[in-house]
Amino acid sequence: MKEKIQKINDYEWLLPKNAREGMKVDAKIIANRAILDAIEDSAVQQLTNVACLPGIVEPVIGLPDMHFGYGLPMGAVSAFDSEKGIISAGLCGFDINCGINSIRTNLTVEEVNEKLKELIPALFNAIPCGVGSKGKLRLNYNELDNVMTHGVNWAVENGYGTKEDIKNTEENGCMPGADPSKVSDLAKKRGLPQLGTLGAGNHFLEIQKVSDIFDKEYAKKLGIVNKDQVMIMLHCGSRGFGHQIATDYLKIQERAVKKYNIWLPDRQLACAPVNSEEGQDYYSAMKCAVNYSFTNRLVMTQWIRETFEKVFKKSWEDMDMQTVYAICHNVVKLDKIKGREYYVHRKGATRAFPDLPVIVAGTMGTASYICKGTELALEKTFGSSCHGSGRAMSRHAALRKFRGEKVNEELKQKGIIGKAGNWKSFAEEAPGCYKDVEQVVDSVHNAGISLKVVRMKPLGVLKG
Amino acid sequence: MEKYKFIDDLTSDVMFEAYGKNLKELFKNSALALFSLICEINNVGEEKTIDIEVSGDSLEELMVNWLQELIALVDTEEMFFSRFEIIEINENNLKAKAYGEPISPEKAGVVVKGVTYYKLKLEKIKDNYKATISLDI
Repeated sequence: MKEKIQKINDYEWLLPKNAREGMKVDAKIIANRAILDAIEDSAVQQLTNVACLPGIVEPVIGLPDMHFGYGLPMGAVSAFDSEKGIISAGLCGFDINCGINSIRTNLTVEEVNEKLKELIPALFNAIPCGVGSKGKLRLNYNELDNVMTHGVNWAVENGYGTKEDIKNTEENGCMPGADPSKVSDLAKKRGLPQLGTLGAGNHFLEIQKVSDIFDKEYAKKLGIVNKDQVMIMLHCGSRGFGHQIATDYLKIQERAVKKYNIWLPDRQLACAPVNSEEGQDYYSAMKCAVNYSFTNRLVMTQWIRETFEKVFKKSWEDMDMQTVYAICHNVVKLDKIKGREYYVHRKGATRAFPDLPVIVAGTMGTASYICKGTELALEKTFGSSCHGSGRAMSRHAALRKFRGEKVNEELKQKGIIGKAGNWKSFAEEAPGCYKDVEQVVDSVHNAGISLKVVRMKPLGVLKG
Repeated sequence: MEKYKFIDDLTSDVMFEAYGKNLKELFKNSALALFSLICEINNVGEEKTIDIEVSGDSLEELMVNWLQELIALVDTEEMFFSRFEIIEINENNLKAKAYGEPISPEKAGVVVKGVTYYKLKLEKIKDNYKATISLDI
């Protein structure tokens, strides 16, 4: 399929709709040459599958972190007509509102390095990590309903975070229209004990230092003023609650595909017409998971603040531990872009609206970025950008190539302190398993869809 | 006979093949493959038993629902499982017992988010069964 790709410019590539039968619209990939060359042909093929779906609006977007996924690549954006399109549980995936919170501090590298050996284990005790740790909160069904419908407002009312956090969260941390009656009992049962847990896999908590500031003015607005300023990054999602909602609706929408006679090139792209019961029910249930996930990350943010207070013997307010921004990168949203409404499906993709922050996570050993969205992103990518560096090596291959303890040793030599619930996750998530984040961010920056603001380097990392 | 084997196919996820002389063994070994990822299956005891009933429109659907049920039980019962006994199975229904112990960080593996339909296949080769299953990690 890649041989059919045509160059638009050094950072944009076109896969025309005549590349294969059934494509209703073109696909476009944002990448520099090196990144494009490394993208799997099978992932490009998956973009063309999405281009076959009903009501798809041109173009289907592949971002530079894209890699082969199930059904569609991670790092993809697809927008559907708000009347004739579809809403797809498959295009959103299992981890609804997997996302990132970036939190600033006014601490310096020197101050934090002195205490890092104390801080990392303290955080590990404060934040339940991995599949073996029990959550510290036990919600009842009423509280869970409240989390679903009120999102981070529930957290703030219960002492986790402040109104400032709400303001600095995408959707103000609460998508309106979440309907708990559309969520299965099993999903709720899974959600009760898991609020305030990190999970495992590629989820992490990282302590970082600012290494470069590219846009001083915008960085200042985010409260980032100094090189060597210490930052915190939290990456996780809606846990078993969201996984179960996705699982339930993949089945419901698979039946809807037959009911509405939708032709799918891949059964994993299960979907339903936007105005059908199966489409809107999923949307209302998905919002519950979105709100749960925003709340999950804010609850943990507060525990991180409390842990810093114990270690540094100062209040979190004195350490200026404010949320810089909290975003999601697995979501479906009815976005109004240039006067028209679309159901935008972002799978491993971040919203990049003009002058709003975009957070791009690197790996345990490499940099992460805060960028800002642009008008060009609205024109080119339905207001979207990349979400991370994107995997380049399978977990299976990673386990053959890397050993967790050795990866940790190599991080230590770079001055990065790591702690994991299971060292296997360090092998599976070794920096060498990912694309070069510098090339990925270079691609989105030069394509003009999000511009570099701040670069951060890891000091310490916690994984499940 | 080999119970299961992991296959290098998906970039960010995990695929395995499970084998069995009959359907009972196939479903049991598929569950073992799943839990070899979730926990240190050889160190997990059998302190508690959970009875499970699952149905599905086809054998493939039954397999997906069986594994999904087990993934959900890790969260709802907060348990790791190390042994599975399939009591009854036909094309649409399954009754089983899962044996395990409470979750613990010391014996933890990875979080499995879901069972996908990617290259999902249940097949009978001569007198043996083989399942190909992909998981979202």
